[in-house]
Amino acid sequence: MTSFPHLHVSSAYSMRYGTAFPHALARRAAEHGMDILALTDRDGLYGALKHAQACADARISPVFGVDFALAPFAGAVPAASEEDHGPLSGSTRPASQRSRSAAPGSNRSAPASGASLAGAPRASGALGASGPREARPRTGPDAEDRVTVLARSGGWSRLCRLVTAAHYAGVRGEPALTRDLVAEWAAGSSGPSSFGHQGPAPAPGASLSRDPARPRGLRGSESGFGPDDGLVVLLGPRSDVGRAVAARRDEHARTLLNLWRSDVRGVVIELVDQYGYRDATTAVRMLALAEESGVPAVLTNAARYLDPADHQTGDVLDAARQLVPLHPRHLDRTTSHAYLKSTDEMRRVAHKVCGGDQVRVNRLLHTTRALAEACVIEPKDLLALRNDPPGLHLPEIGRDPVPLLRHRCEDGLDDRGLRGDRNARERLESELNIIEKKQLSGYFMAVVGITDKIRHMGIRCAIRGSGAGSLVNYLIGIGEVNPLHHGLLMERFLSEGRIGLPDIDIDVESARRLDCYKAIYDMYGEARVACVSMMETYRARSALRDVGGAMGLPPHEVDAIAKAFPHIRARQITASLKDLPELRESRLDEAGLGRVFQLAEKLDGLPRHIALHPCGVLVGNSGLRDRTPVERSALDFPMSQFDKDDVEEAGLLKLDVLGVRMQSAMAYTLTEIKRVDDVDVELDAVAQDDDDTYDMICASRTLGCFQIESPGQRELVAKLEPRTMDDLIVDISLFRPGPVNSDMVTPYLESRHGWRAVSYPHPSLRAALTETNGVVVFHEQVLKIIDIMTEAGLSEAEKVRRSLGDPAGREVAREWFFANVRPVYDRATVTRAWEVLDAFGAFGFCKAHAAAFALPTYQSAWLKRHHAAAFFAGVLTHEPGMYPQRVIIDEARQCGVTILPLDVNRSSRHWTVERVGPAPLRLSVRPSSLGPPSSSDSPDSPGEENGYRRRVRDFRAEDLGRGYGLRVPFSAVKGVSEAEVDRMVAGQPYTSLADFWDRARPSRPIIERLVQVGGFDALHSLRPGGPRWREGELTRRDLVAQVGVLERASASGVKAGSRARKGYTGERHPGSRAPVDEQPAVQLPLGFAERIEPGELPEMTETEMVEAELEILGIDVSRHVMSFHDDLLDAIGVVRSRDLLAQRNGAEVLVAGVKVATQTPAVRSGQRVIFTTLDDSTGPVDLTFFESVQGRCASTVFGSWLMVARGVIRRTGTRAVSMRAVDCWNLVDLDAAWRKDGLEAVLALLERREPQTEGVGGRRIEYANGFRISPYSDIGPTPGVVTPPRRLWHASQGSSGPTQAA
Amino acid sequence: MSRLYGDPIEVWTREGQPTQFVWRDRLYLVRRVLDQWVVAREWWKTREGDPGERQFWRVEASPGRDLGSYELRFDTASEGWLLLRAWD
Repeated sequence: MTSFPHLHVSSAYSMRYGTAFPHALARRAAEHGMDILALTDRDGLYGALKHAQACADARISPVFGVDFALAPFAGAVPAASEEDHGPLSGSTRPASQRSRSAAPGSNRSAPASGASLAGAPRASGALGASGPREARPRTGPDAEDRVTVLARSGGWSRLCRLVTAAHYAGVRGEPALTRDLVAEWAAGSSGPSSFGHQGPAPAPGASLSRDPARPRGLRGSESGFGPDDGLVVLLGPRSDVGRAVAARRDEHARTLLNLWRSDVRGVVIELVDQYGYRDATTAVRMLALAEESGVPAVLTNAARYLDPADHQTGDVLDAARQLVPLHPRHLDRTTSHAYLKSTDEMRRVAHKVCGGDQVRVNRLLHTTRALAEACVIEPKDLLALRNDPPGLHLPEIGRDPVPLLRHRCEDGLDDRGLRGDRNARERLESELNIIEKKQLSGYFMAVVGITDKIRHMGIRCAIRGSGAGSLVNYLIGIGEVNPLHHGLLMERFLSEGRIGLPDIDIDVESARRLDCYKAIYDMYGEARVACVSMMETYRARSALRDVGGAMGLPPHEVDAIAKAFPHIRARQITASLKDLPELRESRLDEAGLGRVFQLAEKLDGLPRHIALHPCGVLVGNSGLRDRTPVERSALDFPMSQFDKDDVEEAGLLKLDVLGVRMQSAMAYTLTEIKRVDDVDVELDAVAQDDDDTYDMICASRTLGCFQIESPGQRELVAKLEPRTMDDLIVDISLFRPGPVNSDMVTPYLESRHGWRAVSYPHPSLRAALTETNGVVVFHEQVLKIIDIMTEAGLSEAEKVRRSLGDPAGREVAREWFFANVRPVYDRATVTRAWEVLDAFGAFGFCKAHAAAFALPTYQSAWLKRHHAAAFFAGVLTHEPGMYPQRVIIDEARQCGVTILPLDVNRSSRHWTVERVGPAPLRLSVRPSSLGPPSSSDSPDSPGEENGYRRRVRDFRAEDLGRGYGLRVPFSAVKGVSEAEVDRMVAGQPYTSLADFWDRARPSRPIIERLVQVGGFDALHSLRPGGPRWREGELTRRDLVAQVGVLERASASGVKAGSRARKGYTGERHPGSRAPVDEQPAVQLPLGFAERIEPGELPEMTETEMVEAELEILGIDVSRHVMSFHDDLLDAIGVVRSRDLLAQRNGAEVLVAGVKVATQTPAVRSGQRVIFTTLDDSTGPVDLTFFESVQGRCASTVFGSWLMVARGVIRRTGTRAVSMRAVDCWNLVDLDAAWRKDGLEAVLALLERREPQTEGVGGRRIEYANGFRISPYSDIGPTPGVVTPPRRLWHASQGSSGPTQAA
Repeated sequence: MSRLYGDPIEVWTREGQPTQFVWRDRLYLVRRVLDQWVVAREWWKTREGDPGERQFWRVEASPGRDLGSYELRFDTASEGWLLLRAWD
C-alpha cells in the first residue's frame, strides 16, 4: 500500500496558528512511513527552508505551498482601520468586540457592511445577482476565505513571486491574494502575460462563461495540475467554492469553480474531513462537484498539530491571533483531528468521504498521490550549500571581478604603505588564491562598493568580527584594522574547508543605519536587495500576556503577572515560581493561575511575529526574488521571509550592517567639539598610544566608554592595567563568558604582573602564546598551536577548531590531533597541549573580532579623556551603554562638567555643550602635574613602571571637563513630540512664557512640564527652592497657572496680541538673559484676561523640583536624589562610593544609592549571581548578591529603586573595589521608619538577622568542559524596577526633607 | 420519529468503530456507520485532565431483524457510552 502524502500542513511558522516545527513534522511523517510531505504555511514561506532541511534529513521529499487568505475585494486594497492593528493587549479587545457589530471600513468586517456587499461579489464575478449573503463573522473559521497554492516541481520561483506579489498587494502583514494574482503567476512556461501588471485584467464578465468546456491551457496537462513549472490551487472547504458547497448553493459553487478554472490551469478540489459536525457532508458534496466538473479531487487533513493533544495550544493561538477571549465561536477548530494522521487514518477518512466506495477511495488517494509526486521539489534546489560546489547567488558586478579585486588590492598596498612589505605581499597572494579558488572575488567587490558608499555619505563605519583578520579587507578599505599588526589570521574568516559565504559585518552609526540601507537599495535597486527577517518567538512574558488575554483576565492583571517574571523562556515559568526567591515571595503560584502558566509554557519558542533583523541585508542579482519571498517590513523596506540561517543555507549574500550607538555617539561628539571649540578631530588618525587615555582607563574611570564600562570590566581594566592597543584586545577577549568560565583570567593576570612564571606546553609554541603570556585566549592561537604541532595548515586547523564545539566533534578532533602530531613532540607534551585546547573548547574569542572592538573602545576613551563634555553629550544623546542617563550625568558631574537645567532659550534638540566661566585652556598638561608637587616629584620612584602607577593613582577625573556644561535638551521632556521640539528650537529666542506659547505652540501638558522643570526660570528670573513665599515674586506655580490663562484665552478665540505684548517685554538682546530687575511680562496685556498676581502661589520646594525632574526628565538635575537622605545615611553610618577605596579588605560596611543597573550574567559557579550597581552621587557602588543571600534580598533588589545594602569590601586592584552583599533594604522603607519611629527603629531594621531562607533553585546547565550556568542567568534586559517612584517619600507633604541645597 | 434517551450502554468496538452494543438488555449488531463526528467541549472551562471531546456515531443496528438508526455518544473524559437517541 502506498503511503499517503499530506499536502496541506501548517507548521509553527504559520504564526500564531501552527503548533509544530518543520523538523518534528518531517520526522513524524517519516515515522509514518510517508515519503512526501508538504509544508503550506499561512501567508508565507517562512518555514520553507527549514522544511527543506528537515525533509532532506528525514530522507523524504518536500512539497512547498502557501495557505493564503483571499482578499475580500478583487484588485482593491482594503483600507486598514487603525484599531484593527493595535498591539496584542487586553485593551484592544473591546475594539474588536465593538467592531464585530459591523464597523464600516474596518478590514475584516468589511464584507458585513453594506458597501462591501457590492464589492464581495465583484471578486466572484457577476454574482451579485445571486442574492446577499449572510453577514460574515469577524472571527472564527468563517472570517476569511482561504486557498492553498502548491508549487509544481519547477514552480518554486513562481511561488516566491506570488507570495511577494500578494504581500505587496495587501497591507503590511496581511497579504491580499486574488484570483487574478494567482492567474498572473500560476500561468506556466509562457510566463505571466503581463509582468508586474496588476491592472484590470480581463473584465470579469468576459471570462464568465457558463460553458463548462475546458478553459484555455489544459491541453498540455492532462492531469489537470497545470504546467510543470506552474502553480496548483487547492480549493478546500474554506475556499469560496467550498463555502458555496457547504451553503448548498451548488450553482454558485459551480460558477466559482469555473472562474478559477478559466484563470488558472492547475485547479484541484481539496477534501477535508476533520470529523467536525458537517465536515463529512461538505466533503461528500465537494467530491460530487469535482466528479461532475471533471476537476481532480485530493484529500488532505489541513493539519496544524503534531498530536491531537496540541489542540489546546491551537485554541489559545486562535484567541491570541484574533485578540479575543477563548470562545467556541472564535476558534478555527471544531475538533482535535487536525493532526498529522497516519496513512491508515487518512484511508479511513477517505472511506468516510467516499461513502465506502472502494473505487472512489482508490481514485481519491491515487489523485492525491499523483499531485504530490507532481509537486515534489529536490531539497538541494533550495539548499545551495548542500550542493558541491555550493550554488551561490552573488550580485552582478558587470565585469570579471577577479582582476578588479586584484587591482584594488594593489592600489591598497600603496595606500597603506605596504608596497615594500614582503610579508604583506605573501599574505595577500595566499588570501587572493583562496578567494579566487572559492570564486568569491565578486563578493568582496560588492561589499567594498557598499562600504565605500557608506563612508562617502560621511557615516562612521567600522568592520567587526572575523573579517578584520583578512588583509584583503584592510587593503581595499572595508576595514581599518591591519591584521599584520595584531597577528590576525584570515583562516578564521575564510578557509578552504569552510562552506558558504564568509561573514563581513559592518558597524555604522545607529542613528544613520537606515540611511545606509537606503543607499544600498539605491545602488542595487529594490529587486536585488532585501532585509533579513527574524522570528520573534514566545518567551515567558509574551506567552503570559497572550494566554492571560485569551483566558479573559483583566489587562492590568495580565500586565502585572507578566512583569513579575524576568526575561526567561516560557517553559521555565512553573519551575521559576519555585526556584526564584523574588517569585516565591510574590505568591503568584498560589493565585489560581495554574492553567494560565501551563498553557503559557506550551507556547514556548513558537514564532509569534516576524520582525526586521537588526542588521542583515541581502544583496543579490535580478533573480533574488526567484529565490526568496519578500514582504514589506514596518519601515517599508522589502524584507525576506527567510531568517539569517535560511539565507545562508540558500547561498544568498548577506551583509550585516549593524547600527552601533557608540558610533553615533562619537560622531555627535565630534560635531559638538567642532561647534563649541572649533577643533577638527580626525578620530581614525588619533595616535593609539596616548598615555593620558590609558591612565584614565587604568584608573577605571571608564563609565560611558565602549565595551569597558560594566562593573566587571571596570574591575578587570583596573587589574589588567592596559597600556597598549594589544592589551585592550586581550582585555576585551578575556571579558567573555568563555574565558571567564574556563578561568583564563587569573593565570593571565598573574603572569602579566610577574607573580607567576610564564610557561608553555612546549618551547615551539612560544611564538603562538607569547602575546598572552602562555594562556590561550584567542581562536587564532588555537589555530596556530594546531598548525605548529601538526603542520596541517591553518585552514585544516580552523576545521578542527570548529569541531571542538560539541563532545562528538571533540572526540574526533582528539583522535585526529594525536594521530597527526609531529613526532618531535613526546606523549606528555601532546597530552598537555591537548588539555589546553580541550579546556578552551569552543569558547574563547576571535582576536580579529576583539581587535575590531578595541579600536572604538580606545577612541571612546580618548574622547572622554580629552573632550569629556562633548563626549558625555554624545553618550547622553545616543545612549550607547548599559547604564541609565543618570549614571552618565553623575559621571559628568564628577568629571567637573556642570549640568545646566532646561532653558527654553538655550536648550536644543539634543544634549549640547556650553562653555561655562572663562574659556578654558586646552589642557596639554597631565593632570598629575597639576596636582601637589609632592606626589609627582617624589624622588624614590624613578622607574617608568612606577611612574605610570603613580600617575594612575593621581589621575584626577574632576579636571576632565572643567569649564564646560551640558544643557538638558527639549527631547528629554516626557511626552514631547518631534514637531514640538522642532518648533521650540526654531522659535528661539523667546521673550516670555506667552511668547513661547504663541510661537512654539506646545501642548498644554508639555508647556506645564517645561515650567515645572525650570525651563522658564532664567527667562522669568525664578529662584525656586528658597523661601517659599517671597512677596510679589513670580513662582513656577504662578507660571503654571498662567499657562491655564493662556490656553483659555486662545480657546475662547481671543487673540493674544503680540504687538501689544512687545511694549511690556522690553528690549531683549540676543544671547543675554531677560533683565532681572524688570517685572517680567507674563501677563496677557489684554484687560479681560484673568490676572495672576506674582507670588500668589507658593514656589516649588526642592523636593518637589526633584520629583518633577524625575517624573518629567527621568533624571535629577538640580540635586541628587540621595542628598535628601544624607541625614539618615550619616546617622546609620553609610559609606560613600568615593570613600570605599579607603576601606580595608574584608570590612563590612553599609552603602546606599539609586539602583542603576542589575545584571544576572552567566558565571562559572553555575549560580544565578545578581550584579547591582548603585549610584550615590559620588560614584558607582558595585554589589554582588550570591545565591546564599538572594532568599531574603532578591525581591528587594529587583523591587526597589533606592537601596541600602550591607556588604563586605573586596579590594581587587589599585583602584578597584567591589562588594559582596550580605543584606539589603529599600531606603524608602527605612526613611519611613526613621520619620515615624526615629533612629532606633531604623537600626533595629538594619540589625535583623533573618534565618537563612532558601536560595535559587533550578538545575544547572552543564557544559562538557565542566562549565555550568544557572538556567536563570544571562537573560536579557534589566529585571525589576528601573524607574523612580512618583513620590520620593512615603510621608506626608509637610516633611519634605532638608531645604538646604546640596 | 426519533426519541431521546441518554441511557448508559455497553459498547464493543473494533478499530475505534462500534460493532455491537447492549441497550436495555438487548444486544444490537452494528450493520453500518451512517455518520460520525466529534464535538469539542470548552476545555478551558472544564477540569484539568479532561480532554473535553465527545464522539458521536450514528449507526444502523439491529437487535434482531428490524433495522433501526441509533445515535451513540462516547465521552473521552469518562470513557463512557450513552445511547442518545433512536429512530424507529
